[in-house]
Order: sequence, then C-alpha cells, then structure tokens
Amino acid sequence: MFVFDTLSLVFVALILLGVLPNLFYSSGYLPHIERKGYYQLHYFAFIASMLGVVVSANALVFLFFWELMSLSSWQLILTEVEDKSTIKAARFYFLMTHFGFVFLMLFFFIVGNGNLGLDFSAMHLIASEFAYPGLLFLFLLLGFLSKAGAVPLHVWLPYAHPAAPSPISALMSGVMLKVAIYGIFRFLLDVLYPWPLEWGILILSIGALSSLIGVLYALSEHDIKALLANHSIENIGIILIGFGMGMIFDSLHLEVLSTFAFIAALFHTFNHMSFKSLLFMSAGAVLHQTHTKNMEKYGGLIKAMPLTAFTFLIAAISISALPPSNGFLSEWMIFQSLLDSSHLTIISLKLAIPFAIFSLAMTGGLAIACFVKAYGITFLGLHRSTNAKHAKEVNFLMKSGMILMTAVVLSLMLFTPFYIQWFDKVFVSLGRASVYAKIFPDGIWNMHSIGINGGMVSPLVLLISLIVITALMLFAYKLFGVKTRLHKTWACGYTTSAKTQYSATGFAGPIRRFFDWLYKPNEHFHKQTIAEHNTKFTSAHYEVHIQPLFERVFYQSMVKLTNLISYWVYRLAHFGQTRYAAMIFNIMLLVLFSYRLFTHEFSWALFIFELLIMMTSTKILIIGDKK
Amino acid sequence: MILYLLTIVLLILIAPILLSYIKATKMVLFFKRPVPLLQGYRNFSKLFSKETIISEETSAITRYAPFLVLSPLLVTMFFLPPIVGGAYYVSFVDAFTITGLISLSTFFLMLLGLDSASAFGGMGSSRESFISALVEPAMILTIFSVSLMADNLGIGQAGVNLAEHFPKEHMASYLFAGISFFILLMAENGRIPVDNTETHLELTMVHEAMILDLTGVYLAIIETASSIKFVIFASLFASLFMPFGLDFIAPIAFVIFVLKLFFVATLVAVFEVNTAKLRIFKIPNLLGLAIVFAFLSLITFYVLGD
Repeated sequence: MFVFDTLSLVFVALILLGVLPNLFYSSGYLPHIERKGYYQLHYFAFIASMLGVVVSANALVFLFFWELMSLSSWQLILTEVEDKSTIKAARFYFLMTHFGFVFLMLFFFIVGNGNLGLDFSAMHLIASEFAYPGLLFLFLLLGFLSKAGAVPLHVWLPYAHPAAPSPISALMSGVMLKVAIYGIFRFLLDVLYPWPLEWGILILSIGALSSLIGVLYALSEHDIKALLANHSIENIGIILIGFGMGMIFDSLHLEVLSTFAFIAALFHTFNHMSFKSLLFMSAGAVLHQTHTKNMEKYGGLIKAMPLTAFTFLIAAISISALPPSNGFLSEWMIFQSLLDSSHLTIISLKLAIPFAIFSLAMTGGLAIACFVKAYGITFLGLHRSTNAKHAKEVNFLMKSGMILMTAVVLSLMLFTPFYIQWFDKVFVSLGRASVYAKIFPDGIWNMHSIGINGGMVSPLVLLISLIVITALMLFAYKLFGVKTRLHKTWACGYTTSAKTQYSATGFAGPIRRFFDWLYKPNEHFHKQTIAEHNTKFTSAHYEVHIQPLFERVFYQSMVKLTNLISYWVYRLAHFGQTRYAAMIFNIMLLVLFSYRLFTHEFSWALFIFELLIMMTSTKILIIGDKK
Repeated sequence: MILYLLTIVLLILIAPILLSYIKATKMVLFFKRPVPLLQGYRNFSKLFSKETIISEETSAITRYAPFLVLSPLLVTMFFLPPIVGGAYYVSFVDAFTITGLISLSTFFLMLLGLDSASAFGGMGSSRESFISALVEPAMILTIFSVSLMADNLGIGQAGVNLAEHFPKEHMASYLFAGISFFILLMAENGRIPVDNTETHLELTMVHEAMILDLTGVYLAIIETASSIKFVIFASLFASLFMPFGLDFIAPIAFVIFVLKLFFVATLVAVFEVNTAKLRIFKIPNLLGLAIVFAFLSLITFYVLGD
C-alpha cells in the first residue's frame, strides 16, 4: 500500500521542507481568514494528501490521494472569494486538474491490466508488453504535465495560483507542482523504463518552450502573484530540460551523464520549491499589507518592510540563477549536461541542442530582467499608493515562516554536496550509475561537471570570495570616513515624486515591444488633450493587458470548436423521427464497417467502397435535399 | 602564483587607462585635442576626495549596491586566462559562471537605478535589462563554441589550449565566434552602437542613466567597475582570439599582452567613430547578429567535424 524507497523519501523531505515554514506563515495569516475551520481542514488535508501521493505504492491509493490533493487545493482557492474571477479561476483549475486525472486513470488501467490495486513494481512487466508504449507516455505526459503546468497545459496556472490565499499559493506553486514532477520521475524511471530517444527529445522541447514562454509572460505581468506563477512555468520548464537531457543520454547508453542530468533536474526541483515558496510568502506579506496584487500600487516598501525585502532579494537572486545561489548551481548543472551534448555521435541532435542552450540562457537573462522589475518596483523608490505608504512589517509568525524558508534556501546553497549525495542515492536505488564521487572527487569544495573536459564550479569559494571582497571594500569605505550626506539629488529640473518613477509596465516596455508579435497586447490609452494638440495633455491613462497566446489560440479555438459541434448537435436534435432512424442505421453501418476494417485484412478497394456507401447513405438519408 | 597576482594587479591598474585611451583615440580621430591617458585616475582621485551625497528617496540598496556591483567583477578577474606561459591560473571556471558573475554585478546596478525613484534611473535599468537579457544567450553560445575548439569548457584552460594548439582546422567557426564576441564586447561595455557613455542625453542613455544619482566615492566605485568590466572583456578577447605571445619570458609576455589590450581598445575606438548610436529598438538586430554568429560558429564546428 505504501512505499518508502529513497525516491519517495526524498520527495517526502521536499514536502516537509516546503510545509514546515509554511505552517508558521499560515498560522500568522489565519486571523485574516473568515472561515477558519474550513481553511484549516482543507489546509491539513492538502498537506496530508501530498504526502500520501509520494508514498503510495499502488494505483488506487495514488489516485485517491491525487484526487484529494486536487479537491482540497480547489477548495482552498475558494477560501477567500472576493470577486467572480476567483470562482472562474477555481473552475478552470478544477477542469484542468480533472483533465489530467482522466489520463492518469487511463494510464493506470492499461499498465495495471485493469487492476488498480496492483503495485507499481509489478506494472513494469505489463507496460513493457503493451504494444503502444508511446500511448502510455502520452497519457503520462498529459496527466502529470497538466498538473505541473508545462506548455501547452499551463494556462490554468497564472489564474489559480494568484487566486488562492498566500500560504496556499506558496504551497501550490512551491510544493504541489513538485508532486507532479515526482510522478514523472516515478513512472518514467520505474514503470516505462527503456524509452526511445524521441521521448527525451519531446520532454526537452517541452521544457525549452515552457521556460521561454513562462518567463516572457511573467515579464508582462503586473499582478505580482501572477508574475510568480508564470515563473513557476519557467522553472518547471528548466526541470524538464534537465530531465529530458537525462532521458536522451540514457537512451544513448551514457549512464553517467544521464544520472548527472537527472540529479540536476531533482536539485532544481528542490531549489524551485525553496525560492518559489519564499517568493510567494514575501509577496503575500506585501499583499497582506497593501491589499492589492497590482505592482503599480507598490513602491518603497523596503523601508517599511526590511525583512520581507531582504528575503525577497535572496529568493530573487536565487531564482535569477545568479552565482553563488542555489538556483545558479542547479542551472549550472543543467547547462553542463546540455554542453555535454558535444560528445554525442548523432549530428542532428548535436545541432539541435544548442537551441535548448539558447533558450535556457535567454530564460536566465529575461528572469533577471523580470526580478529586477519585481524587486525594484515593489520595494524600491517611492510608494505609489497610500496603502503602500502605511504598510508595516507583518506579524511575528509570518516573519518566522519567511525566515525559516530563507534558511531552507541558504541550506540548499551551503550544503549542496550533502543534498547531491542524497539525490545520487535515489538514482542508485533505481539501478543507475552513481556519480557523486565524480561530481565531488576532491572534497566538498569543487563541483565538477561529468563530461570530458567539463567545467567546474566552487560554490563555497565563490560565496566566500564575494563576501570577503565586499566586506573589505565596505571596511575600507568606513575606514576612510567618507562624509555622507542625505540630500535631494538633481532630477533634471523635475521634482521627484511617485508619479515620475518608472512603472512596472514601463519597465518591461522595451521587452514587450520587442516581443510584440508574441504578446499582441491590448493597449488602452486615454488622454485629455489640450486644444487638440496631440502632444499636450492634462492627464493620460495607459494600460496594457496581455492575453497569453496559448489561451487565445489553443483554448479559445477549442471553445469555438465545441460551440460549432454543439450547434450541429442542436440541429440534429430537431430532426424528424425518420432521420433519427436513418442515423441509427448509419451508425450501425459505421460500426460494422469499422469492425471489418480492424479485424480483417485491410484493402483499399473495400475501404473506398464502404466509404462511398457511407457517404451516399449519409447524404440521402440524413442530410437530404437542400432547402 | 606571484605572476598570477601580478597579472590581476596589472589588469586592474591598466583598466582606467584603457578607457581613457579609447576616449583619446576617438578625440584624435575627430581632430580634437585628446585627453591625457591618466584621466581615469584623475577622475577617480577627484571623486574620491568628494563628499558622498545620497538621494533622500534611496534605501539601504544604494549603500551596498555599489560594492556589490564591483565585487563580482573583481572575483571574475581571478578566473581570467593567464597572460604568461607557466603562470598559475584558475583553469576550470566556465562560461556560465563568468556570465553569472557579470550578471550579478548588472543585477545590482539595475536595482541601484531603480532605488532613487528618478525617472532616469528606471529608464536606464529598463533598457539595461533588455540589452543584457539578449546578450546572455549569445555570450554563452559563443564561449561554448570557443571552448569546444579549445577542447575545454574552463575559460582559463581554454586560453592555454588555444595558445598551444591554434585551431587552424576550425578557422571558420573561430572567426564567427570572434565576430560574435566582439559585438558582445561592444554591447556589454556600453560602447557606441548600443550605448554612449559620453553624453547625458536621455535618448541615448543606458549606463549613465542608472548612475545619474551617484556622486563621490560611490560614483568612483561604479566607474571603476565599468572600466574593470571592459578590461575583463578585452582580456578575454585577447586571450581567446589572439592566443599568442605566452611563451616569452614574463616581462615581454606582459608587454605583448598589454599591446593586445591596446589593440582591442583601438579597434573599439575605430569602430565607435565609424558607427552611429542605434535606436534602442534596433539593438536587438545587432545582438541578434551576435546570436546568429554564435550559432553559425557552433554549427560549422559540428558539421565540419572534429
């Protein structure tokens, strides 16, 4: 019923690391929730169900906890219903998560041979005998990636995560997405093991696409929680890039490189849990004080909320993959495994992987831009609204939650070798090559890349040298006793006020303009001109709204298609009785013909003949004369 | 070890001279009276003796960011390829770490721009974030390609390997990487087609806009940081794309390396004189060129085979 192998335990640890600081934060947040009992019940059910998913050993238990996780988080989104958009977001989430659930169930029905009580360990045999492993892979992808929020199944994420109360956003984005990653690890490595090369390439491409799409939409957001939710898409993409590289190396029988890439993916999973939870907690603290999610209403909060600003800065450095943070280390590992592609023998693959390198590097650059925007607009400058002016530091419990989470981030940075050794054990227990001794061949100081002539990084040395040099300079500055004066500085003849600062929309302006073809923004620009002069105006209002491409193209065209189908069904429903009978006749014909087609030998002549019969009978009996 | 430390000191000392030299060369080409080569030091000492005025709107970021802008660059100095054969060098640090450190410095510079609540700071940060986001992929791909030719991902080792074994069989991809890296050198250091550090016109400002509010020691630190950034890029260009002259005895090798740096600076000055500042929205075209050259370099390397 339950399994406690190393993979499960690692994910149990991940959930606990994410949950424990969150407990403090949540209890600090509790006084602001009206339906306390309701919230607490679902909160603990949510945590328990996530733990249940990662330790369950058969499909029935897995699906039970999976569904409990979906339902409790769905109810948690609905804890604080302020407007209709929350209900809409919850409904969207409900739909998408069950969309994935259906495919998971199909997957389990096939690999369990109809027996849902079968242990995962017994599934491998059935899966390997199944004629269409590609179908199983597709079901897995649809099931787990719709939960993890990878492109193109990510559309619910920027709606659902911001709608939930802040502790829940932190849990959903930081921890729940990782449970889906656990599913991918568990079922791809354990159940569907020998995989063709194409699967790895597919995962790699999904990852590369998700990372770019996620960060681009994050940049255009000015709702701080939606911005962070979009960054979750990006980071899931980065994890999938690592995982995809692992699969590619594995199918080419490069075991050591593949374990390295898997460890990189797992390490990034941990890192994303830590800094994303921290970011959501700090953003939640800001939101809690200013009562708005709109970044354009923030500003100057570093003075009122120094601790929140500090924790946000740590997390922002880490998520932007700047050295020597933990986010940098895992992205470095993923980069190294991408660079190891130069030793592959398949030339087309070698030529294709630089595009993944490009998208990962571009993601890094854009993430920096995005977090400069998020941090700078939120915490620096002058306050842009009265709420931001009266903001205070949050209560002790919420603060301690954030401090604990910062400790988790720092521990991932400082104790990297320890964590990697542990991740290594996971893959050894799954029957892979051990690479810990190759990553850290000479003690814990230097982290090596596995490939031939690979690079190396010394996280602690980097950290220490940065700290020492900065401290020396600060010390010298103090020693010289430079006179410092606070005064008004020259602002080119204007007085500095909250209105003259750059806004979040303005900050992302150049990038938005460059990616105009992707964003296709809705711009609202009203100005009160003076005497019809186009350039002179008393007041102006500018707003940009961006509807994600996938939502616009993919989902809305789906809606249109459904409408079209339902229109035809509606027309059918108003046919006369004779036509109903004719339709039944036609369906019978279809069934008979297709039965013959599938069971007997296929011949084109017969197929065309039957097709003609079908078309004729449809035309004569159902459609009839045009009126 | 002594040569290693000496190199770092030399590079730090030569950094302000190089920037003044570029300025002087440009002035000569414009038939103006050139600034003296020690102008950088003069500015530094003048700024250092000044009182520091901090804008009233700023927070703790302004007090710490200048140091955090400089220190990652100083750390990077330790990872550069050697300029004398046989000297100690850090062999293993790869492109991703070096770009990361430079990005860390830029990150704090951008925060500094936003801290003073002036429209100029925000403008500078916004533009800088746009440019550096596009520079990053080109930089990583270019250095990756060079390190493939040098057979080592570590930058320091790559420099040594290139000096020992010049990649004659990969001249095409080597050249492409060189072009790409030169464009990046111009872009990252705020040279003319991308940014103009000499004017204070809001249309052209990127780097200057971010530091408009700084004076005194803080400004001196940031100026030092930008000259050090230039020297990092110039010496990377010199070691990776002009890999010769390491075999001589130390003083001659030093002289050759300094000459190479001045050659790069002259190249930059001539390039700057002959181009106009690009509009901000045309910069992606230039950087796109760098990305395309980086890809071309990798592709020709792979297709022509090892």
